Amino acid sequence: MAQKPRVAIFDFTGCEGCELNQLNFEDQLLDILAHVDIVEWREAMDDRPGEYDIAFVEGSLSTPDCIKRIHEIRRRAKVLVAVGACAVQGGINGMKNIRPIEQVREEVYGEDKYLFPTLPALPLRAVVKVDHEVRGCPMTQIEFLKVFTALVMGKEPIEPTSSVCTECKLKENECVFTKGMICLGPVTRAGCDAHCPTFGQYCTGCRGLVPEPNLEGMKEILVEHGLSVQEAWKRLQLYNAVELEGVRS
Amino acid sequence: MVQFFLESDRVAEFVTHLMKRKPVYAPHRKGRKSYSFERTRDAAGVVLDYPRVMQSVKKFFLPPREQLLSFDLGDNTCRAGEVEPLDAIFLGVHSYDLAAVGRLDHNFSEGRAERNYLTRRQGALWVGVSYEPDEYHFAGSVGIDPYDTEGFDIFLTRLLDGYVLEVLTPAGESLLEGFDLPAHEAGKPAKKHFQQHIYVPQDRLNEVMSASYNNPVWEETALGCVGCGTCNLVCPTCYCFNVEENVDITVTKGSRDRHWDGCMLREFSEVAGGEVFRETLAARQRHRVMRKFKYISEKTGQPWCVGCGRCTAYCTAGISIVNIVNRCISDYEKSTVSAIR
Repeated sequence: MAQKPRVAIFDFTGCEGCELNQLNFEDQLLDILAHVDIVEWREAMDDRPGEYDIAFVEGSLSTPDCIKRIHEIRRRAKVLVAVGACAVQGGINGMKNIRPIEQVREEVYGEDKYLFPTLPALPLRAVVKVDHEVRGCPMTQIEFLKVFTALVMGKEPIEPTSSVCTECKLKENECVFTKGMICLGPVTRAGCDAHCPTFGQYCTGCRGLVPEPNLEGMKEILVEHGLSVQEAWKRLQLYNAVELEGVRS
Repeated sequence: MVQFFLESDRVAEFVTHLMKRKPVYAPHRKGRKSYSFERTRDAAGVVLDYPRVMQSVKKFFLPPREQLLSFDLGDNTCRAGEVEPLDAIFLGVHSYDLAAVGRLDHNFSEGRAERNYLTRRQGALWVGVSYEPDEYHFAGSVGIDPYDTEGFDIFLTRLLDGYVLEVLTPAGESLLEGFDLPAHEAGKPAKKHFQQHIYVPQDRLNEVMSASYNNPVWEETALGCVGCGTCNLVCPTCYCFNVEENVDITVTKGSRDRHWDGCMLREFSEVAGGEVFRETLAARQRHRVMRKFKYISEKTGQPWCVGCGRCTAYCTAGISIVNIVNRCISDYEKSTVSAIR
């Protein structure tokens, strides 16, 4: 049998919840390990040999050091997979970009701010080529397994582009709007099996916007359900600030 | 035709009687304001007076997700999914939803017959119920009356304090055996009025829609539409699906699965090489409405819309299919008038 693919797992700016979710594959972890050798994982192990076939990367890039490290990782990885909302689309960290970067730096670090250089939070794809994405906050486990399995088989993973609404309809969930709540499902990417609406929550949009979203249409829907235009925009920004606002320097 | 009277107080008793014969599927409350067809475990949970369920009875014959086959490299086997006839009673079905099943029967029998759907379709018994048209129903405009008994074995017409129970087939008659009901001699209640109408007779819709390909209504509708796909996925006559192959984490076992799909979704019209042949929401809206009122109806002579109003009732953006069609009609009428001048 050919040598098992070597896998490395890295983290940047984020809560490490996606990595925790990888450790949480209690039923599948042994199957996962049967296919690959994990050679580097700061959250789970000590040694660092530094050569690998697949890199799973969590977190957004928000310091000059991050930029240096991600280039290094990209150079050493045959396949790079962005894992979770921060790595895929900038995630919640992207809200930092809405305000002037110096103001943010001062607010967080105060008089020590000169010790901590900072950048607008960026998704990985803004800096390096990303081969595949596992979306969600934290990353969607079922999607991680699909992408992982496809990579082990040497196939292209299929990444859904339809809305979370499709998954609610297939499960015949009562519509979140029918319950009188606000939901971002209509413009948020499916793939989570409508996890939050299924358990009584609304969709916060953590999996990012569908391709070519009709943002004016979505704002109108939210305003129709009682939000002001500003509130509607803020809801959409929560996980999508980088896509919606671009990056200020 | 035999008519009986079923008092409201005896509905649960009637359901219990049916449950002794066969499994019963009926509308039950779901969530805060919704209803859903479910297998009845408790007769008291059945709701016969409901505006609509999100998913029609289609879901039992064409499940939202289903495994078509499974394979195992360990013993090198491949097995088709097991499919059985649904030998059950469907209680509390509205006339438009049974009409939709009739249309799906056509779709899945035409050409190469679809084994899974047609196998499940065998054996069902139908107990219909009339309904009060709400602000979304427009079944009258496509020729389906709330009291339409076509295809039903038993039909319940709602009165103030009970139902007129009509026995329509021998199968329906045998369902009633052992359940005593008083005969009902009086006629049916006054005709129900729809609040929504398509403003031309259904046999003229092909003509109207043929002239509407370049109507600005598609672009205008697309301004508000976010392309979430809800309209497709709640439609009782939509039958498109996607097939995908899934391999489990052991990489030795897997399955071929299908799930409902819809033409409002971008990836629906994406083909190998990345080409998307209905790129805009306007093109997708047009395709959706044309599928209901032109493309299929040209072949079958019937609108492929049953007027249930779901696509409008559940549309997150409040888009009304009736308004779209009426707009096409109005523009068509204007254009024919000016042609005469």
